[in-house]
Amino acid sequence: MTTTSETTTPDRAWIADITMTELERNPYQAYERLRREAPLAFVPVLGSYVASTADICREIATSPDFEAVITPAGGRTFGHPAIIGVNGDIHSDLRGMVEPQLQPVEVDRWVDDLVRPIARRYIEAFEADGHADIVTQFAEPVSVRSLGDLLGLQDVSSDKLRQWFGQLSRSFTNAAMTEDGEFANPDGFVEGDVARAEIQAAVDPLIDKWIEEPAETAISHWLHDGMPPGKTRDRQYIYPTIYVYLLGAMQEPGHGIASTLVGLFSEPEQMEEVVDDPTLIPRAVSEGMRWTSPIWSATARISKVPVTIAGVDLPANTPVILSYGSANHDTGVYDAPTRYDIKRPPLPHLAFGAGNHACAGIYYANHVMRIALEELLEAIPNLERNTSTDVEFWGWGFRGPTSLPVTWEV
Amino acid sequence: MAFTATVGNQQVSCGEDQSMLDAFLRAGVWMPNSCNQGTCGTCKLRVVDGDVDHGDSPADTLTAEEREAGLALACQATLRSDSVVETLGGAVGGGITHPLRDLTATVLSNDEIARDTRRLLLELPEPLAFHPGQYVELTVPGTQLRRQYSLANTADEDKVLELHIRSVSGGAATERWIFTSMAVGDQIPVTGPLGDFFLPAEDSDDGGPMVLIGGGTGLAPLIGLARTALSRDPGRRVLLYHGVRGVDDLYNLDQMAELTKVYPAFTFVPVLSHEAPAAESVHRAGFPTDHFIEDVDSARGWSGWLCGPPPMVEAGVKAFKRRRMAPRMIHREKFTPATD
Ligand code: HEM
Ligand code: FES
Repeated sequence: MTTTSETTTPDRAWIADITMTELERNPYQAYERLRREAPLAFVPVLGSYVASTADICREIATSPDFEAVITPAGGRTFGHPAIIGVNGDIHSDLRGMVEPQLQPVEVDRWVDDLVRPIARRYIEAFEADGHADIVTQFAEPVSVRSLGDLLGLQDVSSDKLRQWFGQLSRSFTNAAMTEDGEFANPDGFVEGDVARAEIQAAVDPLIDKWIEEPAETAISHWLHDGMPPGKTRDRQYIYPTIYVYLLGAMQEPGHGIASTLVGLFSEPEQMEEVVDDPTLIPRAVSEGMRWTSPIWSATARISKVPVTIAGVDLPANTPVILSYGSANHDTGVYDAPTRYDIKRPPLPHLAFGAGNHACAGIYYANHVMRIALEELLEAIPNLERNTSTDVEFWGWGFRGPTSLPVTWEV
Repeated sequence: MAFTATVGNQQVSCGEDQSMLDAFLRAGVWMPNSCNQGTCGTCKLRVVDGDVDHGDSPADTLTAEEREAGLALACQATLRSDSVVETLGGAVGGGITHPLRDLTATVLSNDEIARDTRRLLLELPEPLAFHPGQYVELTVPGTQLRRQYSLANTADEDKVLELHIRSVSGGAATERWIFTSMAVGDQIPVTGPLGDFFLPAEDSDDGGPMVLIGGGTGLAPLIGLARTALSRDPGRRVLLYHGVRGVDDLYNLDQMAELTKVYPAFTFVPVLSHEAPAAESVHRAGFPTDHFIEDVDSARGWSGWLCGPPPMVEAGVKAFKRRRMAPRMIHREKFTPATD
């Protein structure tokens, strides 16, 4: 079976009508049908196979017959070698480079002292106002400031870090392809290029300094750790992974904080329980990750040999995008998956991926989201959603609320 | 062969090759987890008692020192014996837990102090260690019925326990025992101390302002709490509301007057729900939680203490949060007085 014959089969014709705009506004409808009718399908607008159920995503992410590959738009945005798209020795080296700072024992040492004062500072800036936009005034700033300070980017403002992840994120997910396998909107990468140039202009001088004087910052460790004396990793070698951080690791804890709150607002009794008992926050966050997965559909794997998955024959070298956000709404695993519900059976989810490319920042990210929500609900236990507007979510590759206006009695 | 893991008051059976996490989640018992492959450390827990096999737990995620200290990754570890485990960070109370004991007390006095309300003084054969605000259980003679009553004492009043008891119509403990057949000199079994309604340990008490709201005999634990807090920090702001139906339900007024005199920052506010207060009296009309909202603009940095009928406690929690008291500073007595 060839890909062409499959997508032109009459009952699959609808898959060819899926548009990028539709996916970015709300991917759930199209994906619900994919899970039901074609859980491993070639989606023409993406120019790629897509895995949409929990079983298939997990199988491919952990299969020895597959390895990592970066999506074309992702590769165009980050360049090579980004940690998410490499294998073998290079992947081992890059994992070995980022993992030491993200080990639980290590994170436990400093995460509270890093994140709590940052969360408090942003809350103090608006707590007397009686209203705020949680996304832009709290979730995003706490997320970027914490990681920015960890990386050694103290001198880059939170607003600049927010701007960069937005530019990189839109460029990374500028995934639409023409029938000829060309990018459908090449102009969409310009803002990513602009962000990269700005990032290099800001980070190059820091790298120059850290090469001479190693510092207790993550990027300085990336340069020096595991290298023979007097040698550092080449900056061109680590930049793509710096971009991975400046996009996903910056953006996603913010998405997670905001989505968890939107979910809680949709269940006022559960919100009240969580406010009254902050030990429930990790569970609320975990359900938030399942309900609206921040990395909804951004990473991929490629077959190393011909394989048959879920009845579909894939030749060697076939890329498959892993839509974890869809897998987390799989009715084969979760009842009423569109409902946010901290009481549902606490089954594992795929929001952090699986296999040897699973998220390296899970432990740290979970703590950032926990601490941010602890501080917010402690300072403003009477938080209410401003219901004069609906909350809008956006994104297919990365997903979260675009704004979340709230009010409270001062 | 399966072993049992106990966490808190829940027990879960774990199969021989089944990770603890898998067993817990399948039994519907929440346990933090993310990667389920041993790499993120989210599911780390403490094995308090028993023997586990760490399986493929990576040394990076679970160091040798952590293993030594009894930690395990729930997603990797299997049980090799019945075990007791606890999740990290969730330990409640902090500080000292006083052992639960069974003692036989002698009734010293049993006097009516307000409408349908008795003060019971029980002399103990030996001192009982407890935190002010905790409660004890009495067993109704000749039955299996247990009733909980809060202690009005401070920690140094450990030989004679003071309980405030309100009569319940047809109540087995009250109408058929304490208010009728119980006599001075009776020997009665007492079990305690119980409950988590108590002040933080002295060295972690920030001395911040406190509001205490008691409904009826819900005043009892608040008396022990308020006196303890004031003796730790005599200048501390302490606001005590006593909600009752009418003037005849008020009691311990002399003690309240005395505290007001000794501690200038202590305020006692009696609130009557079913009677108009007499002109020029200090009594207020309505519900204590509404008065708190009027009296206090912001409760940021305060702690709140609630004991009384459930609707009053619920209203109190809402009122405290509305005035932005941090939820972890809101304490409520969770047992509810028996109604039979
Ligand atoms: C709530 C926040 C986050 C979510 C939902 C998330 C989710 C993910 C997902 C789904 C992947 C791809 C996994 C796969 O392809 O199977 C990933 C990869 C990765 N994440 Fe995260 N992430 C978050 C935050 C972070 C943070 C804060 C960091 C670093 C501090 C981080 C570091 C990484 C790295 C380095 C990778 C690439 C791993 C590899 O390819 O070997 N993530 N993340
Ligand atoms: S869930 Fe990640 S180590 Fe167990």
